[in-house]
Amino acid sequence: MSKILEIKNLKAKIGNKEILKGLNLDLEEGKVHAIMGPNGAGKSTLSKAIVGHFDVEVTDGEILYKGKNIVDWEPEERALEGIFLSFQHPVEIPGVNNAYFLRTAVNAKRKHEGKEELNAAEFLRKMRSLANELGLKPELLNRSLNEGFSGGEKKRNEVLQMMMLEPNLVILDEIDSGLDIDALRAVSEGINKMKDGKRSFLVITHYSRILDYIKPDYIHVLKDGKIVKTAGAELVKELEEKGYSEFEEK
Amino acid sequence: MKLEILNAMSEQEIIEALGTRKEKIEIARKLKELKLPHKKSEKYRYYDIESFLHKEITLPKSGFEAKEHKNALIIENAKVIAIPKQEGVEVTFKEFSDVASNHFDSLYYLSHLLNQKAIVIRISKDSNFEIKHIVSSNEFLSYRIVLFVDSNVKAKVYESFEYCGDNLDRLLYGIDAIIARDASLDFIKNQTLNFSVEPIATNYFKLDSNATCNFLTFDFTSKSGLNIFKAELKEHAHFDATHLIYGTNSAKIGTISEIEHTEKSAKSNQDARAILNEKARGIFDALIRVTKEGIYASAHQNSKAILLNSGAYMASKPQLEIYIDDLEASHGSTTGQLDKTQLFYLRSRGINEVEARKMLILAFANSAISKIEDETIFNRVQIDFEKAYYGDTKLDCIKTCHECEENILKG
Repeated sequence: MSKILEIKNLKAKIGNKEILKGLNLDLEEGKVHAIMGPNGAGKSTLSKAIVGHFDVEVTDGEILYKGKNIVDWEPEERALEGIFLSFQHPVEIPGVNNAYFLRTAVNAKRKHEGKEELNAAEFLRKMRSLANELGLKPELLNRSLNEGFSGGEKKRNEVLQMMMLEPNLVILDEIDSGLDIDALRAVSEGINKMKDGKRSFLVITHYSRILDYIKPDYIHVLKDGKIVKTAGAELVKELEEKGYSEFEEK
Repeated sequence: MKLEILNAMSEQEIIEALGTRKEKIEIARKLKELKLPHKKSEKYRYYDIESFLHKEITLPKSGFEAKEHKNALIIENAKVIAIPKQEGVEVTFKEFSDVASNHFDSLYYLSHLLNQKAIVIRISKDSNFEIKHIVSSNEFLSYRIVLFVDSNVKAKVYESFEYCGDNLDRLLYGIDAIIARDASLDFIKNQTLNFSVEPIATNYFKLDSNATCNFLTFDFTSKSGLNIFKAELKEHAHFDATHLIYGTNSAKIGTISEIEHTEKSAKSNQDARAILNEKARGIFDALIRVTKEGIYASAHQNSKAILLNSGAYMASKPQLEIYIDDLEASHGSTTGQLDKTQLFYLRSRGINEVEARKMLILAFANSAISKIEDETIFNRVQIDFEKAYYGDTKLDCIKTCHECEENILKG
């Protein structure tokens, strides 16, 4: 099975604090990988490093996406090449129309891929249909981006963006935080529909709850800036029983 | 003559120098008392007022040779050439001396002294019309408009500017709006003059009990200009002011204002936004005063500015002057660059940095433009902003996208 992402000896800091301390991680194409770890382990820093967030400074190591080191790539280049991060706390942008923003993003990606841009009617038909599947109220599509959305609505809107942008690598950072059971189910169904045997997922979470809905192929335990254990889905049960304190770097 | 020489004159000499009627001696006294500003005057420190007052001028002449127009009062080079043909809107050109006795700015009194007559508009029925200023003269222009909005009347006035000429001078004009009890006035100014004309508006708003006024100013320009106004609020009056400036090149633009709560339970809200590019300078020097009689007032003001590069500058000075305890008041000011987190979010979805910045700037502007209720005027102002910001090339595309999506979403 080919690897979509290979992270080698990644060291990264936020401000003056080193968070990732030589992290190694391989993600297989078409698989669902989950990263679990205690607070402060570096889970969100890892996701930010992959998408090129300005907070994170990579000081050493490589992030190979489809074999190319993307450490110096701009965030939009990574996105256009198919990397998508569903944010833990999606930002509100008053005045930027949700549908207009998404159409700009979708067409930027289509243009990058050499495809024709979607016209407004085609785009809106598709967006409305997917929003309906996700249980996202239609009026939210014509509102400012995430402004005044509830926690659940923001997460559904993230998944809508993912479905519209059809990325190759999806990073879900605490997608389950702040979701009630109904929202969790709707969001998970949307994500599961996106599984096509080629698209890869990296699910970052504290708790195993989300993994009842999105079944992982691999579990990685991240602790103190490094991956300390990788195993199959059965590792969830062990983590639930023993907690993170049992796991140390090999 | 140069206007600045008036500072050395007595009120009688001012009257004579400006060829004004002797009945205006009180106005000349106010001018003498306040004095014309100079470069060290506090409110004008960031505006090049000396160049405005230092130039040699011939005394301006206003005039009235009007034909009827469907819905516009057109003033071309200080002369009224068309008046709106609307029931309940009466336009005359006559002597007017009943000016505000407590305006804080000397240019207000100067413009009244420079004009023997004023364009007087009385609105006695609900109406909606445009005041269009056309400037093409290379001489100093000045005129005054007086707007009476009768009791229980709702008036909407849209003020626009048109340039035709290539060597324009200064424009000192203004409006006295007297809004009667229970009346309302929506006044929207849209100024996009990008040539050598330098418009200074000196306005006065008097709101009687329960009157409301929404005053929105939009200035998108690479040249200088000022909005100077005083608003006086009686019992339960409500004054809402929104200002948006987009300045480029070496423009110096902004608002100098004073809102005064003179009776109880009045409300005021002032929201100023500035987007400044290149070496543009934004000015917001605004005072809200709540007098001892202004109990239970609600008074808020806020200024937000985005500087698009290191050469741009914002001089923001929101001020509250309060003489009572029983009120609700706030003021604030922020100046900075675009929000990095918002910018990153857009980029993380594949939108390039240039486009993402444009989206955020447009959003910032739209938060002010969206206060315009009239759809036609909203579109005009939005197009003018996009034209000023994007330039002409991408305008059709942007407009089409907005309209298309909105129409389809509305079903």
